[in-house]
Amino acid sequence: MSPQKNSEITKNDSKITRMIILGPSANISQTELVRKLHMMELPLTIKSTCYGAAISGEEEVVKKAIISIRELDPCNIFTKDRGFPPGDPRRCRAKRGGAREGFHQLEKEFELLDYVSKALENPQKVQLKKPKKISIKEFKEIVENCQ
Amino acid sequence: MKVVIFPPNSLILADLIERKGHEPLVIQREIRKKVNSPEIDSPPLNITEKEPIEGLKYAAIEVPSGVRGRMAIFGPLIDEADAAIIMEDAPFGFGCVGCARTNELCMFNIRKKNIPVLEVKYPTSREETMELVNKINEFLDSLEDKNG
Repeated sequence: MSPQKNSEITKNDSKITRMIILGPSANISQTELVRKLHMMELPLTIKSTCYGAAISGEEEVVKKAIISIRELDPCNIFTKDRGFPPGDPRRCRAKRGGAREGFHQLEKEFELLDYVSKALENPQKVQLKKPKKISIKEFKEIVENCQ
Repeated sequence: MKVVIFPPNSLILADLIERKGHEPLVIQREIRKKVNSPEIDSPPLNITEKEPIEGLKYAAIEVPSGVRGRMAIFGPLIDEADAAIIMEDAPFGFGCVGCARTNELCMFNIRKKNIPVLEVKYPTSREETMELVNKINEFLDSLEDKNG
Protein backbone atom coordinates (compact mmCIF):
# COMPACT_ATOMS: atom_id res chain seq x y z
CA MET A 1 0.00 0.00 0.00
CA SER A 2 1.31 3.45 -0.88
CA PRO A 3 2.27 5.88 1.91
CA GLN A 4 -0.33 8.33 0.60
CA LYS A 5 -3.11 5.74 0.98
CA ASN A 6 -1.88 4.90 4.47
CA SER A 7 -2.14 8.51 5.59
CA GLU A 8 -5.66 8.67 4.13
CA ILE A 9 -6.70 5.70 6.27
CA THR A 10 -5.33 7.28 9.45
CA LYS A 11 -7.17 10.47 8.55
CA ASN A 12 -10.45 8.59 8.11
CA ASP A 13 -9.97 6.65 11.33
CA SER A 14 -9.85 9.76 13.49
CA LYS A 15 -13.01 11.13 11.89
CA ILE A 16 -16.32 10.56 13.60
CA THR A 17 -19.93 11.21 12.62
CA ARG A 18 -22.64 12.37 14.99
CA MET A 19 -26.35 12.73 14.45
CA ILE A 20 -28.00 15.75 16.07
CA ILE A 21 -31.66 15.02 16.69
CA LEU A 22 -34.14 17.76 17.55
CA GLY A 23 -36.86 16.77 20.00
CA PRO A 24 -40.51 17.47 19.08
CA SER A 25 -40.61 20.54 21.38
CA ALA A 26 -37.27 22.00 20.31
CA ASN A 27 -37.03 25.78 20.10
CA ILE A 28 -35.04 25.70 16.88
CA SER A 29 -35.74 24.24 13.46
CA GLN A 30 -33.49 22.05 11.31
CA THR A 31 -32.65 25.03 9.10
CA GLU A 32 -31.62 27.13 12.09
CA LEU A 33 -29.60 24.25 13.48
CA VAL A 34 -27.67 23.82 10.24
CA ARG A 35 -27.13 27.59 9.97
CA LYS A 36 -25.77 27.71 13.53
CA LEU A 37 -23.43 24.82 12.74
CA HIS A 38 -22.14 26.63 9.66
CA MET A 39 -21.72 29.84 11.69
CA MET A 40 -19.31 28.03 14.02
CA GLU A 41 -16.86 27.92 11.11
CA LEU A 42 -15.44 24.59 12.19
CA PRO A 43 -13.91 22.13 9.71
CA LEU A 44 -16.97 19.88 9.60
CA THR A 45 -19.09 18.15 6.97
CA ILE A 46 -22.64 19.19 7.78
CA LYS A 47 -25.69 17.50 6.34
CA SER A 48 -29.24 18.67 6.94
CA THR A 49 -31.61 15.78 7.64
CA CYS A 50 -35.28 15.29 8.53
CA TYR A 51 -34.45 14.74 12.22
CA GLY A 52 -31.88 17.53 12.53
CA ALA A 53 -28.39 17.24 11.14
CA ALA A 54 -25.46 14.89 10.73
CA ILE A 55 -21.97 16.23 11.29
CA SER A 56 -18.69 14.61 10.47
CA GLY A 57 -15.12 15.61 11.24
CA GLU A 58 -12.22 15.18 13.63
CA GLU A 59 -13.37 13.87 17.02
CA GLU A 60 -12.31 16.96 18.99
CA VAL A 61 -14.00 19.34 16.56
CA VAL A 62 -17.22 17.32 16.52
CA LYS A 63 -17.31 17.23 20.32
CA LYS A 64 -16.76 20.98 20.46
CA ALA A 65 -19.63 21.53 18.02
CA ILE A 66 -21.91 19.19 19.99
CA ILE A 67 -21.23 21.04 23.27
CA SER A 68 -21.97 24.43 21.68
CA ILE A 69 -25.09 23.25 19.85
CA ARG A 70 -26.53 21.58 22.96
CA GLU A 71 -26.41 24.94 24.74
CA LEU A 72 -29.08 26.27 22.37
CA ASP A 73 -31.73 23.99 23.89
CA PRO A 74 -30.14 21.54 26.34
CA CYS A 75 -33.23 19.43 27.04
CA ASN A 76 -34.43 19.13 23.45
CA ILE A 77 -31.27 18.48 21.48
CA PHE A 78 -30.14 14.87 21.47
CA THR A 79 -27.08 13.36 19.86
CA LYS A 80 -26.07 9.92 18.81
CA ASP A 81 -22.99 8.38 17.23
CA ARG A 82 -23.18 7.13 13.66
CA GLY A 83 -20.90 4.54 12.13
CA PHE A 84 -21.21 5.48 8.48
CA PRO A 85 -20.15 8.94 7.27
CA PRO A 86 -22.90 11.22 5.88
CA GLY A 87 -23.90 10.36 2.33
CA ASP A 88 -22.03 7.04 2.33
CA PRO A 89 -23.30 5.22 -0.79
CA ARG A 90 -23.42 1.92 1.10
CA ARG A 91 -25.95 3.32 3.54
CA CYS A 92 -27.41 6.46 1.95
CA ARG A 93 -31.15 6.31 1.28
CA ALA A 94 -30.75 8.08 -2.05
CA LYS A 95 -28.71 5.22 -3.50
CA ARG A 96 -30.18 2.19 -1.76
CA GLY A 97 -33.86 3.07 -1.69
CA GLY A 98 -35.99 2.80 1.45
CA ALA A 99 -35.07 3.96 4.91
CA ARG A 100 -31.67 2.99 6.24
CA GLU A 101 -31.79 0.46 9.07
CA GLY A 102 -30.91 2.83 11.88
CA PHE A 103 -33.80 5.08 10.95
CA HIS A 104 -36.42 2.66 12.28
CA GLN A 105 -34.82 2.63 15.71
CA LEU A 106 -34.58 6.41 15.64
CA GLU A 107 -38.21 6.75 14.55
CA LYS A 108 -39.38 4.56 17.42
CA GLU A 109 -37.34 6.38 20.04
CA PHE A 110 -38.32 9.79 18.63
CA GLU A 111 -41.88 9.12 19.89
CA LEU A 112 -40.54 9.23 23.47
CA LEU A 113 -38.19 12.21 23.11
CA ASP A 114 -40.81 14.74 24.20
CA TYR A 115 -41.31 12.89 27.49
CA VAL A 116 -37.54 12.54 27.91
CA SER A 117 -37.12 16.31 27.60
CA LYS A 118 -39.91 16.86 30.16
CA ALA A 119 -38.12 14.50 32.55
CA LEU A 120 -34.82 16.31 31.99
CA GLU A 121 -36.49 19.65 32.71
CA ASN A 122 -38.10 18.36 35.93
CA PRO A 123 -35.70 15.87 37.52
CA GLN A 124 -37.03 13.88 40.45
CA LYS A 125 -35.40 11.64 43.02
CA VAL A 126 -36.23 7.96 42.62
CA GLN A 127 -35.30 4.80 44.49
CA LEU A 128 -33.34 2.29 42.45
CA LYS A 129 -33.61 -0.47 45.02
CA LYS A 130 -37.01 -2.04 45.56
CA PRO A 131 -38.18 -1.69 49.20
CA LYS A 132 -37.63 -4.94 51.11
CA LYS A 133 -40.63 -7.01 52.11
CA ILE A 134 -41.32 -6.96 55.84
CA SER A 135 -41.25 -10.16 57.85
CA ILE A 136 -44.45 -11.88 59.01
CA LYS A 137 -43.52 -11.15 62.60
CA GLU A 138 -43.18 -7.45 61.88
CA PHE A 139 -46.44 -7.48 59.92
CA LYS A 140 -48.25 -9.15 62.84
CA GLU A 141 -46.95 -6.49 65.21
CA ILE A 142 -48.24 -3.73 62.95
CA VAL A 143 -51.68 -5.40 62.74
CA GLU A 144 -51.80 -5.81 66.50
CA ASN A 145 -50.85 -2.20 67.05
CA CYS A 146 -53.59 -1.06 64.71
CA GLN A 147 -56.31 -2.95 66.58
CA MET B 1 -16.84 5.50 33.31
CA LYS B 2 -17.53 3.38 30.26
CA VAL B 3 -21.15 2.32 30.21
CA VAL B 4 -22.36 -0.36 27.83
CA ILE B 5 -25.99 -0.07 26.76
CA PHE B 6 -28.58 -2.50 25.52
CA PRO B 7 -30.03 -2.02 22.86
CA PRO B 8 -26.53 -1.06 21.75
CA ASN B 9 -27.80 1.57 19.30
CA SER B 10 -30.26 3.34 21.63
CA LEU B 11 -30.40 7.11 21.20
CA ILE B 12 -32.04 7.77 24.57
CA LEU B 13 -29.57 5.70 26.58
CA ALA B 14 -26.47 6.97 24.77
CA ASP B 15 -27.57 10.59 25.08
CA LEU B 16 -28.40 10.37 28.79
CA ILE B 17 -25.06 8.72 29.57
CA GLU B 18 -23.16 11.40 27.71
CA ARG B 19 -25.07 14.17 29.48
CA LYS B 20 -23.79 12.81 32.81
CA GLY B 21 -20.18 12.85 31.59
CA HIS B 22 -19.75 9.12 31.09
CA GLU B 23 -18.76 7.36 27.89
CA PRO B 24 -21.49 5.29 26.22
CA LEU B 25 -20.22 2.15 24.51
CA VAL B 26 -22.37 2.05 21.42
CA ILE B 27 -22.38 -0.26 18.43
CA GLN B 28 -21.84 2.61 16.00
CA ARG B 29 -18.32 2.98 17.35
CA GLU B 30 -17.49 -0.61 16.40
CA ILE B 31 -19.23 -0.28 13.04
CA ARG B 32 -17.17 2.83 12.27
CA LYS B 33 -13.98 0.81 12.61
CA LYS B 34 -15.33 -1.67 10.06
CA VAL B 35 -16.61 0.78 7.47
CA ASN B 36 -13.49 2.94 7.53
CA SER B 37 -11.32 -0.03 6.73
CA PRO B 38 -10.46 0.28 3.00
CA GLU B 39 -10.36 -3.44 2.22
CA ILE B 40 -13.96 -4.06 3.16
CA ASP B 41 -16.66 -2.71 0.94
CA SER B 42 -19.73 -4.90 1.21
CA PRO B 43 -22.99 -3.67 2.71
CA PRO B 44 -24.75 -3.75 5.07
CA LEU B 45 -22.56 -4.66 8.04
CA ASN B 46 -19.22 -5.47 6.50
CA ILE B 47 -18.89 -8.75 8.27
CA THR B 48 -15.94 -10.73 7.00
CA GLU B 49 -14.91 -14.31 7.61
CA LYS B 50 -12.81 -13.02 10.54
CA GLU B 51 -15.83 -12.05 12.65
CA PRO B 52 -17.38 -15.51 13.21
CA ILE B 53 -13.89 -16.67 14.24
CA GLU B 54 -13.50 -13.77 16.68
CA GLY B 55 -17.00 -14.56 17.94
CA LEU B 56 -15.76 -17.94 19.16
CA LYS B 57 -14.54 -16.14 22.25
CA TYR B 58 -18.17 -15.55 23.21
CA ALA B 59 -20.10 -18.43 21.68
CA ALA B 60 -19.41 -22.09 20.89
CA ILE B 61 -18.71 -23.41 17.39
CA GLU B 62 -22.20 -24.98 17.19
CA VAL B 63 -23.76 -21.54 17.53
CA PRO B 64 -24.86 -20.09 14.16
CA SER B 65 -22.25 -17.92 12.45
CA GLY B 66 -24.70 -14.99 12.50
CA VAL B 67 -24.67 -14.98 16.30
CA ARG B 68 -20.89 -15.32 16.40
CA GLY B 69 -20.47 -12.58 13.82
CA ARG B 70 -22.65 -10.25 15.84
CA MET B 71 -20.89 -11.18 19.05
CA ALA B 72 -17.58 -10.19 17.45
CA ILE B 73 -19.00 -6.66 17.39
CA PHE B 74 -20.99 -6.58 20.66
CA GLY B 75 -18.47 -8.63 22.66
CA PRO B 76 -15.58 -6.12 22.78
CA LEU B 77 -18.01 -3.45 23.99
CA ILE B 78 -19.16 -5.67 26.86
CA ASP B 79 -15.53 -6.56 27.71
CA GLU B 80 -14.62 -2.89 27.94
CA ALA B 81 -17.58 -1.86 30.12
CA ASP B 82 -17.38 -0.60 33.71
CA ALA B 83 -21.17 -0.46 34.07
CA ALA B 84 -24.24 -1.35 32.05
CA ILE B 85 -27.81 -0.27 31.36
CA ILE B 86 -30.21 -2.81 29.90
CA MET B 87 -33.53 -1.68 28.47
CA GLU B 88 -35.69 -4.78 28.19
CA ASP B 89 -38.52 -5.26 25.70
CA ALA B 90 -37.19 -2.52 23.44
CA PRO B 91 -38.68 -2.60 19.94
CA PHE B 92 -35.34 -3.22 18.27
CA GLY B 93 -35.63 -5.77 15.56
CA PHE B 94 -33.91 -3.89 12.84
CA GLY B 95 -30.51 -4.21 11.28
CA CYS B 96 -27.66 -5.73 13.20
CA VAL B 97 -29.53 -5.96 16.50
CA GLY B 98 -32.37 -8.00 15.03
CA CYS B 99 -31.24 -11.34 16.42
CA ALA B 100 -33.01 -12.60 19.54
CA ARG B 101 -30.38 -15.20 20.45
CA THR B 102 -27.50 -12.71 20.19
CA ASN B 103 -29.47 -10.30 22.34
CA GLU B 104 -30.01 -12.98 24.98
CA LEU B 105 -26.32 -13.88 24.92
CA CYS B 106 -25.31 -10.23 25.26
CA MET B 107 -27.59 -9.71 28.24
CA PHE B 108 -26.26 -12.90 29.82
CA ASN B 109 -22.67 -11.74 29.33
CA ILE B 110 -23.45 -8.33 30.83
CA ARG B 111 -25.19 -9.85 33.87
CA LYS B 112 -22.40 -12.31 34.62
CA LYS B 113 -19.68 -9.67 34.32
CA ASN B 114 -20.12 -8.45 37.91
CA ILE B 115 -20.41 -4.76 37.11
CA PRO B 116 -23.14 -2.34 38.25
CA VAL B 117 -26.16 -3.01 36.03
CA LEU B 118 -29.40 -1.10 35.77
CA GLU B 119 -32.24 -3.05 34.23
CA VAL B 120 -35.27 -1.11 33.06
CA LYS B 121 -38.24 -1.77 30.83
CA TYR B 122 -38.75 0.08 27.54
CA PRO B 123 -41.30 2.80 28.39
CA THR B 124 -44.61 3.07 26.60
CA SER B 125 -46.19 6.06 28.35
CA ARG B 126 -45.26 9.52 29.66
CA GLU B 127 -45.07 8.36 33.30
CA GLU B 128 -42.92 5.35 32.45
CA THR B 129 -40.56 7.47 30.36
CA MET B 130 -40.13 10.04 33.11
CA GLU B 131 -39.46 7.30 35.65
CA LEU B 132 -36.95 5.68 33.29
CA VAL B 133 -35.02 8.94 32.78
CA ASN B 134 -34.93 9.62 36.52
CA LYS B 135 -33.78 6.07 37.24
CA ILE B 136 -31.00 6.27 34.67
CA ASN B 137 -29.83 9.64 36.01
CA GLU B 138 -29.87 8.30 39.57
CA PHE B 139 -27.88 5.23 38.49
CA LEU B 140 -25.30 7.33 36.65
CA ASP B 141 -24.94 9.63 39.66
CA SER B 142 -24.37 6.60 41.88
CA LEU B 143 -21.58 5.49 39.53
CA GLU B 144 -19.88 8.85 40.04
CA ASP B 145 -20.07 8.37 43.81
CA LYS B 146 -18.55 4.89 43.55
CA ASN B 147 -15.86 6.21 41.27
CA GLY B 148 -15.06 9.04 43.67
